[in-house]
Amino acid sequence: MLNEFTYCPRLGYLEWVQGEFADSADTVEGRYRHRRVDQSAKRPAKKESEGEEEKVVLHARSVSLSSERMGLTAKIDLVEGEGARVTPVDYKKSKRPHVARGAWEPELVQLCAQGLLLREQGYECAEGVIYFVGSRERVTIAFDDELIALTLERIAQMRRAVVSGEIPPPLEESPKCVRCSLVGICLPDEVRFLRANAAGLPEPRPLFPASDDTLPLHVQHPGAKVAKRGEVLAILDGDALLTEARLGEISQVALFGGVHISTPVVQELCRRGIPLTYLSSGGWFYGFTHGMNHKNIDLRRHQFRAAEDRSRCLLLARRFVQAKIANCRTLLRRNHELPLDQPLQQMKWDIEQAGKADSLEQLLGVEGMSARRYFECFDGMLKLADPLFPEFDFNGRNRRPPRDPINALLSLAYAMLAREWAVVLQTVGLDPYLGFYHQPRYGRPALALDLMEEFRPIIGDSAVITAINNGEITANDFIKQMGAVSLTAEGRSRFIQTYERRMSSEITHPVFGYRISYRRVFEVQARLLGRHLMGEIPDYPAFVTR
Amino acid sequence: MRHVYIVTYDIANPKRLRRVFKTMKGFGKHLQLSVFQCDLPAIDLIRMQDILTLIINAEEDQVLIFNLGPTESCPIKSIQTLGLPAKLAKRATVVV
Repeated sequence: MLNEFTYCPRLGYLEWVQGEFADSADTVEGRYRHRRVDQSAKRPAKKESEGEEEKVVLHARSVSLSSERMGLTAKIDLVEGEGARVTPVDYKKSKRPHVARGAWEPELVQLCAQGLLLREQGYECAEGVIYFVGSRERVTIAFDDELIALTLERIAQMRRAVVSGEIPPPLEESPKCVRCSLVGICLPDEVRFLRANAAGLPEPRPLFPASDDTLPLHVQHPGAKVAKRGEVLAILDGDALLTEARLGEISQVALFGGVHISTPVVQELCRRGIPLTYLSSGGWFYGFTHGMNHKNIDLRRHQFRAAEDRSRCLLLARRFVQAKIANCRTLLRRNHELPLDQPLQQMKWDIEQAGKADSLEQLLGVEGMSARRYFECFDGMLKLADPLFPEFDFNGRNRRPPRDPINALLSLAYAMLAREWAVVLQTVGLDPYLGFYHQPRYGRPALALDLMEEFRPIIGDSAVITAINNGEITANDFIKQMGAVSLTAEGRSRFIQTYERRMSSEITHPVFGYRISYRRVFEVQARLLGRHLMGEIPDYPAFVTR
Repeated sequence: MRHVYIVTYDIANPKRLRRVFKTMKGFGKHLQLSVFQCDLPAIDLIRMQDILTLIINAEEDQVLIFNLGPTESCPIKSIQTLGLPAKLAKRATVVV
């Protein structure tokens, strides 16, 4: 804790005040090495035999100590000593750094705090040892007055930061961020960039991977069964194995319609923090199962406070609607076969109007008008709207139930988006049910609906256009029943694949300028909204493509 | 950054062999007897090494991990097959 805080005050705050945590290769390796440190106590230490027997009297591993006077608690990896003279030993997985004091400041401070605790218990403790597992070297650190003063200062600083309730600002252009496991949560460069209003700052470094390591698993095969088999999930139809999916590679599980799932699977998903969502066969979102709620209560408190404030809601809502109209306009401009001067001009005007709206009701009106203009031109983006495919006759949006194939596809695409957003918001610690533009109604993930607005055209509509124009979905993939049109299981599976391809596609971020996949964009947007709600950045940067 | 690894093992005891096999199923595609193709980010490689180290007996068993290089450069293309075609894995969203 003290170590993280000394490394970067913001990291310390995020991890220990807000309860954020993310694993990186370094943290996992650290734990792996550490387990061996803690366990090796079971084996008899070979060194203690023979000649050294009298010298080493005390040899205790994983010693927990705390002091109320200093307000400190520590778990010391190893305490060695003789009589009243003891030495704390801390294990680090890395190699020994070649710096003047033998170790970096965070490690020095951490070790010194352990030493101070031992002194508090009445031991004599003049020095400590850091054992670097990577290079198998012991480095002795003397607890001189300078180090003790530094340690006490860090402890006091940390306490002040916690009491103030304000998150410390990110480090500036620091090389420390590159290997920090929380870089995707902290967004150091992005926050600094948006705070300075882009004046003169270099574009953020692409510090985290452009695309996700894990991908969703969709099960929509009617009557399929999901079971756990060791480290993989088996999807079965009766006794026949349909496919297997490795647990470590799943980001979320979506179950469409009547799919069975076993309790061991649910438990394992909760344990790994993989969200499980339940949907109707048409993609209607019923709800989800998630491990224990996110720990960052601070964030949710800010969200609730902002949602109470009508003027803040309106500011955010304007952003969502403006970005949505702008993205619709871009999509039309890119894909429509005819030049559309008039509708594009009108939509530009709509964007201005949305920026001026002074109530949510008025904004709703502007959005509705603009959506109608957009959907009137929608069929011009579909290349197969010829006599061979009379089914693809599209005259405006209709739903519940969708009455033509395009509307069926759009409904499914939007349902997928809403689900995606609900999951993203839940994972970053926001409450998906409390929105700013969409007002809460029972069972409606209002915040997810808010944030998906700007992505409706660029993900949802775009996936529909791709699926039809590439011939991935044809007239045979639909069933018509009593005026309602729905997709066949196979058509749905193919459309979900098209949609997921769109989600995985990498684009150049319009604000930050680096390559990033849409899947990642969602997470970054959600975290930036959090940063905005907590007052770190002045504006929510809605996602507008160029 | 993901890398492609080929993991092979020789395990002396049938009980440990099963456990290694089951573990490896969680990390990669079973290509041949005792051979897996894995496509792992750094974090999963360490997780895999961690679990395997706990299972195997260092005196009797052996696991070999070959790093073929970054997934982006498609190192599996350099794998030649004689005889039956190899079913190499490619990462994609699973939709069933």
